Amino acid sequence: MTATGLLDLTIREAGLEIERAKLSPVELTEAMLQRIARVDKTLNAYITVCSEQARAVAQAAEKMIRAGYHLGPLHGIPVALKDNIYTRGIRTTAGSKILADFVPEDDATVTTRLKRAGAVIVGKTNLHEFAWGGTTDNPHYGTCRNPWNPERFPAGSSGGSGVAVAARTCLGALGTDTGGSIRLPSSVNGIVGIRPTIGRVSNHNVVPLAWTMDTVSPMTRTVEDCVLMFEVIAGYDPLDDHSAQTPLSDYRGELTRGARGLRVGLIRDYSLAHVQPAVGDTIRAALRTLESLGVEVEEIAMPSIHGNISAQLTIESCEPSTYHQEWLRTRAADYGEDVRTLLELGELYLATHYLQAQRYRNVLRKEFLHGFERVDVFVTPTLPFTATPCGATTVTIENGREENMLSAIMQFTGVPSLAGLPALSLPVGFDAEGLPVGMQVIGRPFAEATLFRLGHAYQQATDWHTRAPRL
Amino acid sequence: MNPAPPVTAESIDHLCALADLPLSPGRRRALAPILAELVAAANELNRTMAHARYRGIVPVVRFPERAGGAA
Repeated sequence: MTATGLLDLTIREAGLEIERAKLSPVELTEAMLQRIARVDKTLNAYITVCSEQARAVAQAAEKMIRAGYHLGPLHGIPVALKDNIYTRGIRTTAGSKILADFVPEDDATVTTRLKRAGAVIVGKTNLHEFAWGGTTDNPHYGTCRNPWNPERFPAGSSGGSGVAVAARTCLGALGTDTGGSIRLPSSVNGIVGIRPTIGRVSNHNVVPLAWTMDTVSPMTRTVEDCVLMFEVIAGYDPLDDHSAQTPLSDYRGELTRGARGLRVGLIRDYSLAHVQPAVGDTIRAALRTLESLGVEVEEIAMPSIHGNISAQLTIESCEPSTYHQEWLRTRAADYGEDVRTLLELGELYLATHYLQAQRYRNVLRKEFLHGFERVDVFVTPTLPFTATPCGATTVTIENGREENMLSAIMQFTGVPSLAGLPALSLPVGFDAEGLPVGMQVIGRPFAEATLFRLGHAYQQATDWHTRAPRL
Repeated sequence: MNPAPPVTAESIDHLCALADLPLSPGRRRALAPILAELVAAANELNRTMAHARYRGIVPVVRFPERAGGAA
């Protein structure tokens, strides 16, 4: 197979070839490292490239295959990890100057599970500093850029992971998602990403942003690949106080069921309101595709939904500021200006603001659980707009009115984060400028399998996920 | 709705003193308009959540572990 052909392989395709000893993990890893060397000067998706270690692990993976050992679908698969996920012996900066020299002595649980499954870590990806922001315009490690148009932003905070996957420099990546940080870059980079139910995937040894909302999960080109990574990292972890003991589902088995009979809810005056016209048109087209697959769509009212941005801003301000309290007093000048400002602001809320926001989450969750008596999932756009120019602090969504970027980014992804629900973003088309549009599918607690089932059925009927940026 | 701005430069000074957060006068001034907007929205949510119909609602720090199940 040519090096170019290797780049377009999915995890499933590459994994099968490796298992049959028709593809060498060394060859595949080398193709990814060469690709990184070629495109990442422009994209800046990686903070650290682990060339030496990746080559050594790939060689070991190849030897095991020759000896008849196969560790599963990730054996010999090159992956990347967001740089707030601990990697033993490899620095983990969280995109910050403060942790620039931090080399963990232990792995995160998700890192351990990927290693045990035979995955090859090719690098640590760029992120918004300490994951507190949605642009990945990082003052310490450089601006990460969108592969569909390097003048546009990759969103964030897991922007590097989104770009690394879309640019074919790895076959899958891990990101973290507090208020949307996996789904947002998945949307604007044209890939798949899931925020799991809190507790489904361990947060142990992941630099926190907001404890009551943080999650870790995969970002891939296909839903099927997302499942293959998710199956490896999901499950109870006694090292994580928030870890859930709810049994795992047969995620791969659910993929074969198709979408027929699933019921999709649109939230009245919200799901398709206040979005750029191209985004609204693309989501409506995706819904028509789902209907052609046997999905029923209905509108449901959710009266409390419009308090979501304030609640998210309050919680995402107060919790990070608590974690960063000491550094903010001893190393304030080492933060980027935007994150420093947010951390300072988070110290100045009242306790009642924080607790009312946490109570609001319960109201929102109850409304969703009530809605799930009628539908299986809810659908919204992932973002109300497509990728904005790098460095922009405002965005125009409709009627020529400029809006604050941070609030606009949170419009849709904050809702499942607050309600403690899993949510999948999958690519459903492009705007007139060739920029990807993502659709968010929100499910019941611990019903990730339903999201994968719907997303996979959609990808079987469309080809948006096969399109690659020209680099 | 209280028409008065909820945050002024003086209130930032007080809050920083209470939080033992030593910020330069320039930084404190810069925070005032942003915090005013954030607090106005948070106060709006406070008023909503203070309503009698929500008296039985507890804050969430960890959601109960109840699976929704696959469809």
